[in-house]
Amino acid sequence: MKRYSDMEYLRLSKWQKFVYKLVSFLVGIPLGIGHFFAKIGSAIKNGCVKFGGECKEIAVGFVHGDWKTKISYVVMGFGNIARGQVLRGLLFLLFEAVFIFYMITTGGYWMSMLPSLGKQGPESVYNPVLDTNTTVYHDNSFKILLYGVLTMFFIVAFVYTWWVNVKQNIIAEKIVKSGKKLRSGKDDLRSLVDDQFHKTLLALPMLGIVMFTVLPIVFMVLVAFTNYDGSHNGYSNALFTWVGFKNFGTLFSWTSTGAAGTQSYSATFGEILVWTLMWAFFATFTNYFMGMGVAMAINKKGIRLKKMWRTILVMTVAIPQFISLLYVSKMFAQNGLINQMLQGLGWIKSPLPFWDDPIWARVTVIIINIWIGIPYLMLITTGILMNIPADLYESAKIDGANGWQQFRKITLPYMLFITGPYLLTSFTGNMNNFNVIYLLTGGGPTNAAASGAAGSVGYTDLLITWLFKITTGSESQYYLASVIGIMVFVVVALISLVVYNVLPSIKNEEDFQ
Amino acid sequence: MNNQKRHMGLKAANRLSNTIIYIILIIISVIWLLPFIFIVFQSFRVESTWQVGYVIPQQWGLQNYINLWNSDFKRWYLNTFIIALASAVLVTVIQLCMSYTLSRFRFKARGPLMRFMLILGMFPGMLTMIILYRVLADLGLTQANAVPGLILVGVASSGMGYYVSKGFFDTIPKSLDEAARVDGATRFQVLYKIILPLAKPIVIYTILTAFMGPWGDFVFARYVAMGTSAGYNVAVGMYSWLTNDQISNWYTTFCAGGVIVALPVTILFLCLQKYYVEGVTGGAVKG
Amino acid sequence: MASVKLTGVKKIYDNKVVAVHDFDLDIKDKEFVVFVGPSGCGKSTTLRMIAGLEDISEGTVEIDGEVVNDLQPKDRGIAMVFQNYALYPHMSVYDNIAFSLRLSKVPEDVVYEKVTNAAEVLGITEYLMRKPRALSGGQRQRVAIGRAMVRDSKVFLMDEPLSNLDAKLRNQMRAEIILLRQKLDTTFIYVTHDQTEAMTLGDRIVIMKDGYIMQVGTPTEVFEMPNNLFVAGFIGAPQMNFINTKLINEGGKYYVTPFGVKLPVEGEKAEMLAAKKIQTRDIVLGVRPEHIRLAKAGEPAIKTKLLVNEMMGSEIHLHVSTEDETRIIVRTPTVDLSKEERNAMVAGHEMNITFEGKVMHFFDPESSENLLV
Repeated sequence: MKRYSDMEYLRLSKWQKFVYKLVSFLVGIPLGIGHFFAKIGSAIKNGCVKFGGECKEIAVGFVHGDWKTKISYVVMGFGNIARGQVLRGLLFLLFEAVFIFYMITTGGYWMSMLPSLGKQGPESVYNPVLDTNTTVYHDNSFKILLYGVLTMFFIVAFVYTWWVNVKQNIIAEKIVKSGKKLRSGKDDLRSLVDDQFHKTLLALPMLGIVMFTVLPIVFMVLVAFTNYDGSHNGYSNALFTWVGFKNFGTLFSWTSTGAAGTQSYSATFGEILVWTLMWAFFATFTNYFMGMGVAMAINKKGIRLKKMWRTILVMTVAIPQFISLLYVSKMFAQNGLINQMLQGLGWIKSPLPFWDDPIWARVTVIIINIWIGIPYLMLITTGILMNIPADLYESAKIDGANGWQQFRKITLPYMLFITGPYLLTSFTGNMNNFNVIYLLTGGGPTNAAASGAAGSVGYTDLLITWLFKITTGSESQYYLASVIGIMVFVVVALISLVVYNVLPSIKNEEDFQ
Repeated sequence: MNNQKRHMGLKAANRLSNTIIYIILIIISVIWLLPFIFIVFQSFRVESTWQVGYVIPQQWGLQNYINLWNSDFKRWYLNTFIIALASAVLVTVIQLCMSYTLSRFRFKARGPLMRFMLILGMFPGMLTMIILYRVLADLGLTQANAVPGLILVGVASSGMGYYVSKGFFDTIPKSLDEAARVDGATRFQVLYKIILPLAKPIVIYTILTAFMGPWGDFVFARYVAMGTSAGYNVAVGMYSWLTNDQISNWYTTFCAGGVIVALPVTILFLCLQKYYVEGVTGGAVKG
Repeated sequence: MASVKLTGVKKIYDNKVVAVHDFDLDIKDKEFVVFVGPSGCGKSTTLRMIAGLEDISEGTVEIDGEVVNDLQPKDRGIAMVFQNYALYPHMSVYDNIAFSLRLSKVPEDVVYEKVTNAAEVLGITEYLMRKPRALSGGQRQRVAIGRAMVRDSKVFLMDEPLSNLDAKLRNQMRAEIILLRQKLDTTFIYVTHDQTEAMTLGDRIVIMKDGYIMQVGTPTEVFEMPNNLFVAGFIGAPQMNFINTKLINEGGKYYVTPFGVKLPVEGEKAEMLAAKKIQTRDIVLGVRPEHIRLAKAGEPAIKTKLLVNEMMGSEIHLHVSTEDETRIIVRTPTVDLSKEERNAMVAGHEMNITFEGKVMHFFDPESSENLLV
């Protein structure tokens, strides 16, 4: 692609400029992604170099350290206690003791079972006392996977703590040698509300995130590589086990899912993905522009009762969405208020197929979503609109811009610049907007060709509602749900990556700050 | 003379455009309010419990509210209220800790931590539902005991939603912290004596959103309650009234329930509207 | 009251950018030192490292002989005034000033006495119950100073305290800072980008550029003997004129030849050149605008054309252009010119200028160092 210099670019016609920008944008995408992976590569390289350095330091510390430091390599916190930092030392020691105790009692078992996810499933055994066959339960794949992952987390935490312990002992030895005083336990405690206050503040939130977000996500990602489903629930009917990339193969295979007349998973996935992206696009931008329009109308000079208009809209934000969504969903039903009223008035003969025709249903969810979203967007954009410097408009007016031109050349670029990141999160949020779809249509109307072994699929189903249906459906194909979840992540991550890496270069042209 | 004429023209044009805007605003207001007015009317309707082709009831009465009182609705309402109250307190504490720290402290792990959470947020939360359910089941916190389970899960991962309040904290000048630290305040005192009093809008915003969230919490709540009515929240419970085989008996009761749920939340919201708007406009975008 | 000593202080940011290079400085007890330089020169960063608001990457900072690198700001015995005042918006003026005293658990009646004393000194007694938002810029500035005053600190740090004020108020507050200094009698470190503030306030000035110290000296030293072209250009307004030319050594007598006009070097400067045994060479010649005058008839003079005439009141700034279109600024007291002369000075007017040999500065064109230092 030819690169124009600034002076050459200025001489291009409007059309040429547009094409040039578009091409630069498209070329920028692979470049941006390439750049991203190059960055990851160099980060990994740096990490390895750093890791090597740390290892060396720890080895050198052992060789040159005094006996207190040397013992600390095995008995954590020993050096601290010996040098008078009793509190720190005891905490290290306690952690080590707990770790060893845990690994011996249970952790070792979970780790040893992790490669197989359980050896012995439930079996039917003859019970001579009762004179019948009873089922005896043995290993539990689900627990093995869950506690195996947890144990791995624990091991990582232990290695990190051990490393901190070693480093602290090496440093403490140096400090003592240089004749300075070490921090006492009291100093340590005091620093927790002062220079180390961030650790105190983050401890609880991070614990919650690790246990209830990170751990489940790691678990579910691993499930994608197993055959965990309703008939292999890991305990009461059959164990599940590792199957490698087989499930990804299933999702992307072109063969039919088996049931007669049904299409392949990959075709269904493709269909739903396309609708998901379409939905996210329309849901985001209709709300955005119409919300901005309403905000501008209310804020226009000379419009009275601004507060009242705003309150009317804001009030609808307060009403829990499930009420408004469910109610509106029923209102548009075949025998709902709208259809009955229209029929009563004699305007239509048969009910309008709001939820029964694929196109009608898709358009209706987008329109109802506008109804849900505009008040919120109105609030957000009002704040930003009022922050646009008035002198920009004044100068534009003097330059001869009319209302539409002012909007095109000032309001819109300014808004896009400020709300760029918001638009991105809103787009990905809409991709995963479970509530609106599920409460309005439940995914319907049913798409017969796509519905198959994994349960029924509808024309308004998003990936996220499909995923939900698969997990709660009759066969509970958790592994498939997990693969779809990973694909959602990949799509969201790719979009974010492109936007983050390409947008700034475009943004620079409209520097408002 | 000529000048005056043009002046008049400008005024007239302005009046015309304002009139159009008024008409649009009135239409919008009607569209936005009508469904809610419909709900209220239908909640007082006696003659039919299912949808009809008109709005104003032919026979007014409190029958639907009495039905509501006799159903499990009380239990659901109490459940939701407890969850909402608990998360209003706990979620606020956690989110403020998180956002204040990420806004104010520059420690080594800050950048990686924020990036890590950004990536975590790209996984659909729905995915973790299965395992969270199993964990709660192991802890005995499902079905009839769903309330503490829902609080636990809701609060534990709330740290991820720090963006809005961080955006607000970022607007408080850092030099205030620095001045206070020079003046002899510890980091804790800086938070307690300087930042918190200035962060009142965002604190109220966080409390408000944390309180309002559980009223609409549906998917996971339904999963955790697993068909046990005693563990339902209002959303799950009232959804069960609108299934195809129930709706003809429960539709107007649903409307009455909707009114009872929406009323207190809306009043609270309107009272604190100012802070909500400040929070949304201040934090949401900068986040 | 304390000395401050910086030894090899360095600031390296995470992205490997070095903001301050090996900063060495000894500040004596009760000295008033000004860090001055253009924005991004590292002056504020250095101050913030002394305050403890930035980590010190390398080197040590000592206050009163004690290394304070690892101490929190509150434990360093400093007080600080911020550029944007950093008043706590939710507290009244009284509470703002009392904040630090209350944190260190001073009894309320002592607090009252100290705060009202400070308020009286600064003339803000009547605003004590107001919130900062109800004060003007100058009043806020006083509150910020009051807040620092009551701390009885060993070192008083000020980070561009006057840059948010308008010109008139700035002059007024500058004088008040001098008075405050006399009253407090403690060590001051003051950061500014304004060379006038630096010259009028400082006992010593530290001129910085790109993280390096360019020169440390009294106002007179840096004005009369700038170390290099940067200092010469930075101190003094309007800026010193620089002319690429030759220095000629004719048997111990020195001449410069700006624009082909041979002017002798005289006085102290000639002696110093001789003492350094400097031979004929290329130089950058520096002459301050106030040292250039209109040539009398018959004198060797540089021919110029007037471009712009700026009447400042007590003095006139003349922007002139030589034959090879070099711009030179001449600053002349208004009273030195007759009315006819002034009236003749319109754009295009031809004028001959010259300057004395004792006011010249000589710089190496390669290293930009002053040849006489």
